[in-house]
Amino acid sequence: MKKGFKLILSVLILVFLIPQFGLAQEKRDFFKVGVVTSLSGELAFGGTVTKRGYDLWADTVNALGGIEIEGKKYKVTLVYADDQSTPATAAVAAERLITQENVDFILGPYASGTTLALAPIAEKYKIPHITGSAESPLIWKRKFKYTFGTIPAVSLIAQASIQTLAKDVTPKPKTVAILGIDDAFSKFAAEAFKMSAEKEGFKVLKYDIVPEGSDYTPQVSAIKALKPDIFAMGSHEKAAIEMIKIAKELKFNPQAFVQHYGMTTPDFRKGLGKDAEFVLGTSVWTPNMKHQATLLFKNPKEYANAFKAKFGDEPEYTNAGSTAAGIAFQEALRMIKAKPPLTQENKDALISALEKLNIMTFYGQVKFAVEGDFYHCNAGLQPVAIQYQGGKLVEVGPGKLQVVAPKFPTPSWDKR
Amino acid sequence: MELFLQTLIDGLLIGGLIIVVGIGFSLCFGVMHIVDFAVGEWVMLGAFTGFLLVSYFGQDPMIYLPVLFIIFFVLGWAIYPLIYRAISGKRHNPVLMGLVFTFGLSILAKGGALSIWGYHIQSITTWLSGKSLALGPITIPALRFSGFLFGILITLLLMFFLYKTKLGITIRATAQDREMASLLGTDVRKVGALVYSLYAGVTGMSGILIGALFSIHAAMGVKYCTLAFFVVVLAGMGYIPGVIIAGLILGLLQSFVGVYVGGRYNLVALFMVMYGVLLITPKGILRRGI
Repeated sequence: MKKGFKLILSVLILVFLIPQFGLAQEKRDFFKVGVVTSLSGELAFGGTVTKRGYDLWADTVNALGGIEIEGKKYKVTLVYADDQSTPATAAVAAERLITQENVDFILGPYASGTTLALAPIAEKYKIPHITGSAESPLIWKRKFKYTFGTIPAVSLIAQASIQTLAKDVTPKPKTVAILGIDDAFSKFAAEAFKMSAEKEGFKVLKYDIVPEGSDYTPQVSAIKALKPDIFAMGSHEKAAIEMIKIAKELKFNPQAFVQHYGMTTPDFRKGLGKDAEFVLGTSVWTPNMKHQATLLFKNPKEYANAFKAKFGDEPEYTNAGSTAAGIAFQEALRMIKAKPPLTQENKDALISALEKLNIMTFYGQVKFAVEGDFYHCNAGLQPVAIQYQGGKLVEVGPGKLQVVAPKFPTPSWDKR
Repeated sequence: MELFLQTLIDGLLIGGLIIVVGIGFSLCFGVMHIVDFAVGEWVMLGAFTGFLLVSYFGQDPMIYLPVLFIIFFVLGWAIYPLIYRAISGKRHNPVLMGLVFTFGLSILAKGGALSIWGYHIQSITTWLSGKSLALGPITIPALRFSGFLFGILITLLLMFFLYKTKLGITIRATAQDREMASLLGTDVRKVGALVYSLYAGVTGMSGILIGALFSIHAAMGVKYCTLAFFVVVLAGMGYIPGVIIAGLILGLLQSFVGVYVGGRYNLVALFMVMYGVLLITPKGILRRGI
């Protein structure tokens, strides 16, 4: 009986004391930033794109001594968790960072699917989360209080290349066929192509969505048979490369190949070589833009140089969006004068500060929407149509955004 | 009519690629009863090795097909003792042990590839890339056609080996009754090693073709693992000649469903066929499997 009493007492002590130790406020003089992104699995390429953007932000801030709050500088430490390219793992990874690592805030995943799984966890634990990559409009429609994003929804930006083909080329193409991959980002890219094509007066001959990882040959054959003027593809980088390869194999020669993400990545250019020429895409940021900023990087060129010096590659807009996510947190922290580690009050104040944020960065303006279908999305950036010309991405429209005239129509494969 | 013929050709050529991946897997399962979860990773490792060979030594990737076969044959031979240990001895369920072991191999290969070659998406180009044969309005991509021929050729060679040579007959005898073959003096361990090495060699070799057609990255193997399972179920588990028919049916199914029903129904159609076969004729469409 005595033994039993002692055992119960010990268990009770453990039950009451252990959480107290766990919840005890740790002391530190640096910001602990959780990063959930795809470091393995199908999306490892994209995960690394975001990682590079986040790393460059953290390294640059730390090289300057840290984030300055009331005269004192606090460094940032990134704590990574691999979502293995699956939504369920993204949720578990975020939960671990919040409950075990006690991170102050989270920089989010590469893909929209994983972001949609992480956002409810951020909501549950009331922890601020900014994705520097995800573009699906579904995220913003759900109106998560604790989730923000620096890249506008794909439905707001994918139309730039279609508008360019409607207004900046002659003779104006008339028909379009659209193929999208069945994931939270790509099918909305395809849908955005469809909506903007219809708005610009193009006839949509075919609109098809296929599962990721399929052999896309039958769909490209079906589209080829319809002889569209424009072939638009909503996909990530791998499918973007494969669809162009298939089009070449099948000798499919539309007047324009249009993509959104994927074609902006260095692997697209390296993988396809000369076949990447003439492909059109959309971006919200290029190193040639003229934004002038006071925070961290003065302009896109300075950012591009720093990126190239660190990683040896040209940055693209998702790298820049990820770095901008860090800058947004940095400025919001400065606004609320919060010191690490953040309390729950600080975290809630951080959300209010992010909602009020209106800054000009090397990436452009960061101002999150506070109402409507794009709630907490940095929806105001101007998309620009880009095209591979002479192995480089150049801005070709729409309208006044044109730096170089688009090359149109695309020559047939045997005349390149 | 043009679209119908093109869809037919596309389907046959996709089927050819499915045969290439499925043939070694079927051999491995049929003879050794090993369900190798790492089948897709052999494809991935083959593609990366091909990419490395091309990067270092230049030349056309197709030249390295025999080199890849030798490399992966040796690798399979080296790994087999570990698999043999996992599936033999006093194991309660050797098939399950083999499955778990190869699942581990697959994770190791994926992680290793990501660490060694990184996250970049690589591509290789052969002299056949982008070339095609025109038959009136029908286009036959040259690289896919060579993949199709490669699949058929490998299947015929394996069938010849298994049905017309003494060693092949020994392998088939071992597949039929392992204990009896052992009692009659067959070294079943060596036979197993040979079969696993052949499987690894053929599947690794196919990686260079698949890498040239699509793209090369550490996670590319997953879809080929699924396809290999589809083929084996449809062909009849372990029935090699069935692989040709199963591969072609799967290719045609993907092609016709993709064009005439809608791409989004591709996987639904494949799964429906697989479940249908499992329910109605579990020994495969030709009723010749295990």
